[in-house]
Amino acid sequence: MNLWLIFWTLMLVVAGGSFAAITLVVTVRGLRDLRQWFATLGRQNADG
Amino acid sequence: MNFAPVDWAIVAGYLIATVAVGLAGKRFVGSVAHYLVAGRELGLYVGIATLAATEIGTITFMYNGEFGYRYGFAAFAPALISGLVMIFVGRTGFVIRRLRDLRLMTVPEYFEVRYSRGLRIVTGVLVALGGILNMGVFLKIEGEFLTVVSGIDSRYLVGVMTVILLLELLYTVLGGMVSVVITDFLQYVLLSVATILVSIYAVTFAGWTNIVSKVTHVMGHAGFSPIANPKFGITFLVWQTLLWLSLHTCWQTTAMRVFSTKSAETSKRVMTWTGFIFLGRGMLPMLWGIAALTLYGTGALHGGVPHPVVDGQTLAPIDAMPAMLAHILGPGVRGVVVAGMLAATMSVNSSYLLGWSAVISQDVILPVRQALGRGALGSRAQILVNRVANLFVSLFLLFWGLYYRPPGAVYLYLNITGTIFLAGAFVCVVGGLYWKRSNVLGGYAAMLAGAAGAIVPFFVLQWDENVTGFAAFGLALCGLVVGSLLRRREP
Repeated sequence: MNLWLIFWTLMLVVAGGSFAAITLVVTVRGLRDLRQWFATLGRQNADG
Repeated sequence: MNFAPVDWAIVAGYLIATVAVGLAGKRFVGSVAHYLVAGRELGLYVGIATLAATEIGTITFMYNGEFGYRYGFAAFAPALISGLVMIFVGRTGFVIRRLRDLRLMTVPEYFEVRYSRGLRIVTGVLVALGGILNMGVFLKIEGEFLTVVSGIDSRYLVGVMTVILLLELLYTVLGGMVSVVITDFLQYVLLSVATILVSIYAVTFAGWTNIVSKVTHVMGHAGFSPIANPKFGITFLVWQTLLWLSLHTCWQTTAMRVFSTKSAETSKRVMTWTGFIFLGRGMLPMLWGIAALTLYGTGALHGGVPHPVVDGQTLAPIDAMPAMLAHILGPGVRGVVVAGMLAATMSVNSSYLLGWSAVISQDVILPVRQALGRGALGSRAQILVNRVANLFVSLFLLFWGLYYRPPGAVYLYLNITGTIFLAGAFVCVVGGLYWKRSNVLGGYAAMLAGAAGAIVPFFVLQWDENVTGFAAFGLALCGLVVGSLLRRREP
């Protein structure tokens, strides 16, 4: 039981840590992605 | 009523912002490719946000919370499998790279490319049916969460969920995938903040030592080991691996994100990083469920686990987690969390509405029209058909979703309804991509055997979920192999 508890505790730390870190990165860099995407869609619509 | 004025203000502000940005997306829609796959131009970070937001809803928090409450730390096993399998798919490009290169818009479309138009229509019907039934339980369970946490009288549940569905429908119908992706981004940020906040609150209030000793006391070794737990075992773990492999490659809403990325390489990177998010998507709400067991698991035993008792009232295990949140979150934080859960609800529902209506329009209505000798539709007409399909799916969900209650753990119900079409679809897609001899007869046999393998054992013979799931994948594989070997491949 102790081994399983240690294993799940480690997994929980990895899961929580990566969830928070990726959220931070995606929030900041995603805005730039959105701007580029809007520009591309706008160009495609203008070209017909 | 648990809500303070500041909580209402936060929730109202979120709703106004999300509908406004959703409607703004409409002006970018110029073709059916924009409407269904965002012009195939999504970058890495917005791709991660939309994929994560699509597959994290209040329904996800609810069924994972219930799973944690019922099975303790052993419940973490399927969450771990879901994340690891996604990372594997992302790193190797298994299935997704080849599908992305084909520039598809839906999964059943592949069946016409590789097999036949008839099999595409059969698959489209099964995918839409299974997917809509799967989604059918979302509304009621999401509504329960909102009423329990906010303290709104349950008599208003139908009205609250109808308003939310109409708001989602408004921007999804008008702006399609473009609006869905923009709102997904906003919703992803909000739901992630809520997830992190609730995790901190849950562990702080319940106490890590108390959590561990409660699971030890109630479940013993079975609360930690997925192999020792009688509900799970090796069969369950293998079925979960197959199921998540098929979900990450052939589930319509996930596949639409793969099809929407700039390139196959981008789709692989999106899948890999979202795999890490998937670890938290499962484990964190499961932890909230275990914390709820620790704080409120004092009622009569049912299946070896005590029912939650909150303020002297006995609840169902699925309602333990929202009841805990109603008690431990303070004013302001409660508003942020409910806004986050609303964001999660709306991102999943809008993506699923678009996903299943896309299958109905692109893989059932349009191919049937062509089979009847009618001409192909232009881009504007296809968008119109998609919008009408969207409306019909919403109407069905409203009536089915608010009145049907699945038996047993919701997580397992969703797995089984998904398996009805996923077993056959996954086997056909993998066979079509990687086995030259697979053919139309094998494809039909796989789809029908997979569906029968899920429906008959579970609904008729009432076998355990993991045996049912295992049988469905096994029968689908046998169907493809035997059917394909019986007839030479068509020229």
